[in-house]
Amino acid sequence: MMRLTAFRIRNFRSITDTGWQSLSPDNITCLIGQNESGKTSILEALKVFYTGVISEDVLRSDLSLPEVSCRFSIPEGWLLSITDNPRPELRELLAGLDSLELTRAWIADLSSVVKVSGAVSQYLDSLEDAWKIYLGDVTLRLEEEMDNIDVLEASLENISRQESLLGSQLPSRDPAKKPFAFLSRKNGEETADAVVNPELYSELDDLRDKKDRITNELENKKLVKKAGEKWKEILDRYSMYEKHMSDLFLKLEERHQKLTLLMKPFDDEDVAWKSVLHDYRKTREDRDMIKSELDRHIAFSGYLLNGFSEAESEEKVSEIIQSYKSQYNSEMLGRKYFAHCPIFEFFEDFSSLLPNRIDLHDIISGNEQVEGYKAARNFLTIARLDYSFFQQRSSRIFKQKIENINQTLTTDFQDFWQQSIGRNNKIHIQFELDHYDASAGRKSGKPYLEFWIKDEGERLYPKQRSRGVRWFLSFYLELKASANINREMVLLVDEPGVSLHARAQEDVLKVFEDIRERIQVVYTTHSPHLVEINKLHRVLAIQRDDIDSMRSSTKVLDPLQLSSATPDTLSPLQSILGNPLPVEGASPGKFNLIVNDNGTFYLISAILHLTGSGNSISVIPSTGVSSIPLLCNILMGWGLDFLVLLFRNDMEEDIVELLPETVYKPGSNGKESIIVMPENFHNSEDLLSTLDFKNHILKTREGITVANSDYVREKEMPRNFIFSRFLSEVMDGDIRLSDFDEETNENFRLFIGKLNGHK
Amino acid sequence: MSSETQLTNEIISLMYNQSIDEHLASLRYAGIIQQALMPDSEHLDALFRDHFVFFLPRDIVSGDFYYALRYRHYICVAAGDCTGHGVPGALLSIMGISFLNEIMQARCEPRANRVLNFMREKVMKALHQTGEKSEAKDSIDIGLCVFDTESRKLQYSGANRPLLRIRNGEVSEFKPDKMSIGLAPVHEHPFTNVIMDTRAGDSFYLYTDGFSDQFGELTDKKFKHNQLKKVIASVSDLPMSRQGEILEDTFYDWKGNTAQIDDVLVLGFRI
Repeated sequence: MMRLTAFRIRNFRSITDTGWQSLSPDNITCLIGQNESGKTSILEALKVFYTGVISEDVLRSDLSLPEVSCRFSIPEGWLLSITDNPRPELRELLAGLDSLELTRAWIADLSSVVKVSGAVSQYLDSLEDAWKIYLGDVTLRLEEEMDNIDVLEASLENISRQESLLGSQLPSRDPAKKPFAFLSRKNGEETADAVVNPELYSELDDLRDKKDRITNELENKKLVKKAGEKWKEILDRYSMYEKHMSDLFLKLEERHQKLTLLMKPFDDEDVAWKSVLHDYRKTREDRDMIKSELDRHIAFSGYLLNGFSEAESEEKVSEIIQSYKSQYNSEMLGRKYFAHCPIFEFFEDFSSLLPNRIDLHDIISGNEQVEGYKAARNFLTIARLDYSFFQQRSSRIFKQKIENINQTLTTDFQDFWQQSIGRNNKIHIQFELDHYDASAGRKSGKPYLEFWIKDEGERLYPKQRSRGVRWFLSFYLELKASANINREMVLLVDEPGVSLHARAQEDVLKVFEDIRERIQVVYTTHSPHLVEINKLHRVLAIQRDDIDSMRSSTKVLDPLQLSSATPDTLSPLQSILGNPLPVEGASPGKFNLIVNDNGTFYLISAILHLTGSGNSISVIPSTGVSSIPLLCNILMGWGLDFLVLLFRNDMEEDIVELLPETVYKPGSNGKESIIVMPENFHNSEDLLSTLDFKNHILKTREGITVANSDYVREKEMPRNFIFSRFLSEVMDGDIRLSDFDEETNENFRLFIGKLNGHK
Repeated sequence: MSSETQLTNEIISLMYNQSIDEHLASLRYAGIIQQALMPDSEHLDALFRDHFVFFLPRDIVSGDFYYALRYRHYICVAAGDCTGHGVPGALLSIMGISFLNEIMQARCEPRANRVLNFMREKVMKALHQTGEKSEAKDSIDIGLCVFDTESRKLQYSGANRPLLRIRNGEVSEFKPDKMSIGLAPVHEHPFTNVIMDTRAGDSFYLYTDGFSDQFGELTDKKFKHNQLKKVIASVSDLPMSRQGEILEDTFYDWKGNTAQIDDVLVLGFRI
């Protein structure tokens, strides 16, 4: 369902950023490049995209954390079918997607999360942003309100002070002497004190009014104040965790730095380190919880600020949080979709080649650090054996079962060998269960598996056999085991050709071809025998930015960028293609223009000469339209820039569609390497007006009422001959640009303009 | 003369006259067909603000022809003169009209000179003119304009036939290439394209040489091209239909009782 179409790797070993790199659409992608260029790093990065497990040694010296993104093609509408109840906008988006991007990003403790990226995450992020903006706005209002409350409280305090000061200036009253005096006061009558000191009393009254107002206002803001105080309290706690996190982060960085520089392996027994790691993870968890609490409290405060009661605000905030939580975020969807992504399996010598012997305990405990672990695991998977099998009491039945399994596997492998490679091989696979004897010390009495490869009576350990046999047998085990898993697979194969002889390397390619419909293969190689000349669209060239420095970052070049590749990088290609031709034909110093045949070669060369554009362009004739893709592959292999000139006839119009599929990768700038002439140019001779075609090429005066190319075809004229003669006359100066009419000149300008636009 | 001989002669004479009548009938019908191939007044009304056609074949059918077609936002208008007159000229003119239709409808961005270049190819092919043996030397002289109604630019290309433009009473003559549509004496050359801006009220005139080559009854001289230009200039501010009437009167006045020596065609249009 999901097919890997492209990847992007950032901050992984020597890789800073590969940019998006498309895999070959026919499911086999080949990474070439010299040693230490970063080929294997790409495979490893893809592997850890799947497993999520990395160690410090993949970190770059600047300790920037890795990110691996993969783009998958998916059937349109499929995402919708695996996403429960998306909102209408998300539903619409998902329904229309035919590709999916997932990104795995690591954090300081080297744990990681997979998020959906690309179009889906843009939409989800916009929702999260809206929530963040809302919380930001409420926070600002809350801060403002808290400031207001502070000001009001300060005013109240000030007023109280003034009130008490004024009170002390007034004559003291004896309430006992004049009880309820105000009851006897008539309208308009002032008290005796007021009469005595009217301004002071008036001022006092003003102060009291003001005090009442402020007190009322503060009373109204009581809930907000309470909420604000709690917000500050949570914020303080959150800041404390943040601070602690950044301290721990520094410690982690320091450790990463040490391990990266010293290339020291991870020490499982380092208790202090484990404690830091534990602390970091715990603090992160706590911090995230406090952040949730903080966000919730801010949203709650927002409702209070809008005049809701505490109970109402609580209810509303629960609703909004519930609604927010019920929606997806990038991480949730990433997790969901990742569950459907193909399995990435890394096939490399140490773990994947069949060992001579392996402890049963190591297989059962999944100890990947043991040599041959994966091969042995594959073996047991295919044989459908688990631990209980090895606990059988009856050794006779047990031996018989093993014998049966050996026989079945042998037959299957011979079939595979015959079908995939087309040759017979009589080798027999055998495995046995045995136990260490007393001399094995700590391991004494423990079970182990032993493997044998038998051929015409000779029984040898896998490591005693040829490397080719061992590789193919192990690869067969990998494929066979993967067939038991009902998932797509991306098989990452590191240097399958190492130390295999040329014929065996070609057999490897045959196997890849055989499985590519169901398993995508990405492999690295130095070998010319593992690159097919007519399928250079499968090649990605890997090299360092600065070829002399192993500290510089890795660069990935797609087939159309091979002109930027160094000769060392391209050596596998140039081994099969030979070195670029000197002077005549393809040229590294010039722009190479591929044309359909020799006739067009002569004509276009003449036009380039006439228009003075010939110096910077080499015209390369194909031996017919159908050979153009092959020629493109050769030039790509030589790392030469090129353009393909295509006219509007049936064959060349097919090539317009075919080239991006067979030579360039989807998403690459393949289309930009093709010049397609407008509709009325069926072939190169249509670049001349009929009159010029007659005058300068045909040397005839007969009326021609069809396109020049149609005329040549109908009359079965020898294109090569007549155009070669024309070129000679042009080169000799017998025909000049001024001899052509305005129609021809206009066509020449159009052609040269297109050429310049593409160069 | 015996009575038998006389009877025979009478029968022969009757048959001859009958044959002439049939030929005339055929020719008249051919003339109707030829006229039908040329645009009628209504068609021209739809293309131009104002126009006139002074078309006076010498015989029943004509070697002169005119042509007007709207194709997308282009209007192509032409006046042609095929070598000879009468039936041979008429046949060639029908071919010319047919070729123009084919070319105009095939070319996306018509250029006046390329239309003529291509028309020449078609004529040469149709008449098997290769320059290698004694083949028909027939050809067409033609003035052709392509008016772009969007850009208001007018292209002109001429095979021995000029174009007159009158703007505010001022006459401009655009000279043609001195070659016709057909095999050239030595070598075919491309036709030239003249592109001009137009202004509202500009009048254009395409014509064949029948008018200017007409001998006058009183002078026994040709009317001449310059005199035709003067006449056109002198009436250019009148409505086109009136210009046509004056040109017709002028022609008949000049010709008097002398024979019309060639087909006459003057086409005027205002944009």
